[in-house]
Order: sequence, then C-alpha cells, then structure tokens
Amino acid sequence: MIAATADSFEIEKAKLCRKIAELQAALNAKDQKLRELQLAADNLLAEGEVQLAPRDHYTELSNDDIARYSRQLILTDFGVSGQMKLKNSAVLIVGLGGLGCPAAQYLASAGCGNLGLVDYDEVEPSNLHRQTLHTVSRCGISKAESARIALLELNPHCRIICYSNLLNSFNAMQIIPAYDVILDCSDNVATRYLLNDACSILQKPLVSGSALKMDGQLTVYCYGENGPCYRCIYPVPPPPEAVTNCGDGGVLGAVTGTIGALQAMEAIKVIVGLGEVLAGRMLIFDGSSCQFRNIKIRGKRPNCHVCSSQPLITGLIDYELFCGMNANDKDNALQLLEPEQRINVLDYHKLATEKKSHLLLDVRPPAEFEICQLPDAVNVPLAQILDDSYVQRFAQQLESKEYPIFVVCRRGNDSQIAVQHMKTRFPDHSIRDLEDGMHAWTKLVDQNFPIY
Amino acid sequence: MERTSSVVNINVLFFAKSRELAKTSRAEFTVEPVVKAGSLLIQLIESFNLKTISDNLIIAHNENYIENLEAEIYLCKGDEIAVIPPISGG
Repeated sequence: MIAATADSFEIEKAKLCRKIAELQAALNAKDQKLRELQLAADNLLAEGEVQLAPRDHYTELSNDDIARYSRQLILTDFGVSGQMKLKNSAVLIVGLGGLGCPAAQYLASAGCGNLGLVDYDEVEPSNLHRQTLHTVSRCGISKAESARIALLELNPHCRIICYSNLLNSFNAMQIIPAYDVILDCSDNVATRYLLNDACSILQKPLVSGSALKMDGQLTVYCYGENGPCYRCIYPVPPPPEAVTNCGDGGVLGAVTGTIGALQAMEAIKVIVGLGEVLAGRMLIFDGSSCQFRNIKIRGKRPNCHVCSSQPLITGLIDYELFCGMNANDKDNALQLLEPEQRINVLDYHKLATEKKSHLLLDVRPPAEFEICQLPDAVNVPLAQILDDSYVQRFAQQLESKEYPIFVVCRRGNDSQIAVQHMKTRFPDHSIRDLEDGMHAWTKLVDQNFPIY
Repeated sequence: MERTSSVVNINVLFFAKSRELAKTSRAEFTVEPVVKAGSLLIQLIESFNLKTISDNLIIAHNENYIENLEAEIYLCKGDEIAVIPPISGG
C-alpha cells in the first residue's frame, strides 16, 4: 500500500516537472520573441538619427532617485550635483564580458542615465565564471541583450541601447559621438587600436581596462590637455604570436571584476569631475601577490600618429590589417602541415584500439592536461618540444624512423607547431598531429569526453 | 665623473607576457650605474628572452616611465625596473 502511494507520488511529481518544463520553454520562446522585437525597434532607431535618440535632460532628482542613491548622495564631493551629472550622462561600454559586466553593473546601479552596450558575441557557459550579468538561462542570446535584461532589473531608470554587431571603422564613428565617456572592455588588440583612434579623433575620454590570467591594467586615455592616447604608449601592435587571449591563457573572474569595477569608478570620476582621474598614470594589478602599482606614464607623444598636432591618421583605418589579427578573441585554425603529416581522430582511435605500439605526446600545459587526457597520452608541454628537451626524454622511441609518433593538443594548432618543429630535426620520422585535437575527439569519438 | 663601484645590482620586475618569457616575476640584474636607457632595454631583452615583445614594452624606473631611450639613467643598488607589455584580454 505504502509502495503504491510512493509510486503514484513519483508519477505526479514527474508530471508536474514536465508541465513546468513546458511552461518554461513557452516562456523562453515568448521572451526571445520580445527581445527580437525590441532589437528590431532599436535597429530602426539606430539606423535613423545618431543611434542614441536625443537624451532627456533632467534638472532635478525624483524621490525615488533620492531614496535609491542616498548612500552616494551624502558623499561630500559627490552630492546632488554629481548625481545630476550622472543622470544626464551617456556611457558606451564596448565588450560585455569579464570587464564590461561589472563596469556596466556599477554604472547602471549608480544612476548613469544612458548606457550603450556593444558586443557581437553570444553568452556561453564558459563565460559565466567572470561575466557576472549573464545567466545559465540566457546562454545562446546576445551578450548585449543579456546584459540589458540584468541591468534593467537592477535599475529600470537606466536607458539602455544595445549594439549587437562587431564594432568596426564605419559604425564606430556613428555610435561614439553620442556618448560622453567610452569604456574599452574589449578582448582584442584590433578593437583597442580602433577605439583609441576613434576616441582620439572625437576627443572622448577612453577608460581602458584589460585583464589576463592574474594580471590587470587600467588607465584613462585621451583625457585632458596632455593626456596620452594608447598609441602614445604602444605605437605599434604586438606580433600575433605574443598575444594571449583569455581562452588560451585563462583568467580569474575576480581579476576582471576588480579591473571592471575600477573602470566604472574612473568613468564616474570623469563624468562628475570627482577626485583625480587615472590619466597619465597606469595602474598595474598583480593579483597573484595582490599588489597595485601606479606607474607614471608619459604625456602625449609629440609625433603620435593620431593625437599629435600633425597626425598621420585622421580617419579610421583597417585595424585587423594594421594588427594582423582579427577583432575577436577566437582562435583561428592554423594550416601549417601537409595532409600526410596529420591524422584524423577516427583513424587514430582505430589504431589505438588495435593496441598498435605508438607514442602520443600531449603538448598542452600541465594544468590543462590535468583536466582531461587521452588514454595513452604523455604530457610534454609545447615549450619542451620547442627547446628540444623532449629529444633526450624520448631518445629510445626516436631511434627508429618508422615508430609512429602522434602529437595532440586542445584544438589542433599547437600540435601543428610541435610537429613542424620536430620535423626540422627528424624530417623522415613518422610524426603526425591529431587534426582538430581533443575537440574533434569529443565530436567524433567520445561524446562524454569533456570540452573546454 | 665620480665612481664608487663599476656596477650595481638592481631588481627587474616582469609583468604579463614578459613574466612568461623571462620565466620569473622578479630578477636581480647587474648593470653599470649610469647607462643609456636604450642600452639597458637591449640588455634586458637579450638576458630575459623578450625579443618577441621588444617593440611593445613600457620600461619604468622606480615607477616612472622611461620616455627617452637616448637619455642616461642613474641607477642605485636596489632600484626597480619594471617591464610592462600591454594586456589585451578582457
């Protein structure tokens, strides 16, 4: 009898769960529809005048404002006039990722009247550890849209415009003029130069933050008479091989959070005219030792290509070409090897199941090897391939030219670099890389193999 | 010019990519007490494997940006030279 009751209870519970899931799906579909409509309306607006329709100009605080902002209103140097300036201000945030989320959160909650959000990308689960405005249920939707939903919940008085396109040399000059302060929360070199040149030409203060691993940097460019621009400090872009993105180098969410919150603070200071803006100085944050250093940087470079009195660059250029890198932080598939120097994961899987004797070198860093590894893999980080220390370690296997050696990494780029390097020393050995690396393994061989 | 010793020991601090390339966040470095900034930069690039980012570095002496690579800088024992490449992630 008791068992029967328990059974019917379980059935009833399952029914309810299914019903809730159906309702949830219907709700999500409606939500999506609403967002699409809103987006279409915004785009219509965006195509019209200068993207941000004429702002309302407020001359006094509402009772709700006073209650909501009371804790900052009573700050001596902030006060009602500071709050009014914020309420009438417009800030553009480029990149709604690890830096942009906390920056937008503090600006919206502090009462910044108009926010522009630029991000072409969509929310995915690997963003959630640091991109604090996005949620599990909003995975797959535009980051700018997702951020707007979160921000309006925080402060419905904030007017928010989304630009869910990649910022480029054409739209930047249409979007930026409508804003007072620009926040560079981007994740790539090309966008950093683009924003710098646009802000320098349009004379907009640029609050520039960046973070990677445990490190962060912050400064305000194009601010004041003698404030330098990004090009004054870094006239030439770094070579692509010297640039690490968060997807490859990793980053701690609290580090981007620290820098993003400071970006909001500097933007508020610029708008309100509070304190001493971080211009002509660069804040260097080393999270591993929790040290902040303030480096006094130079003023304007007299021969700067964009902000000097005789600039060479007077309009925006092609920044992907200038930097030799794409304006995103995604990895491109390298094409370094000939087809015969590569093996398909399915062919490798077959050979491994047949227990054919071979060597599988996994060239990822040890921290990544620890996450997951293929059954026969030996961890030999790429650096040990490139400095040839692997030669001694695998002297025995390298004795025979026929002994099959395979190289694997996460996506099949580093493995190609490794094979290319090994081939210069052992041109006739059987050394091949696994095409598209472990991502292909998950896709084609074992769907339960973790992907990161 | 008055000289008490021919070299001094300074501390070099590495940030971001330079830390990876130098494989340390801090190193002691022996250098002439009066040295052209450009020459110091070349010595650091060669000693700490910084060639790939040699055109993209801020060098700061005791937290002050070194603006002119032609100028001589005066170093005392324990002075700090910070090597700061840009970070672009976010």
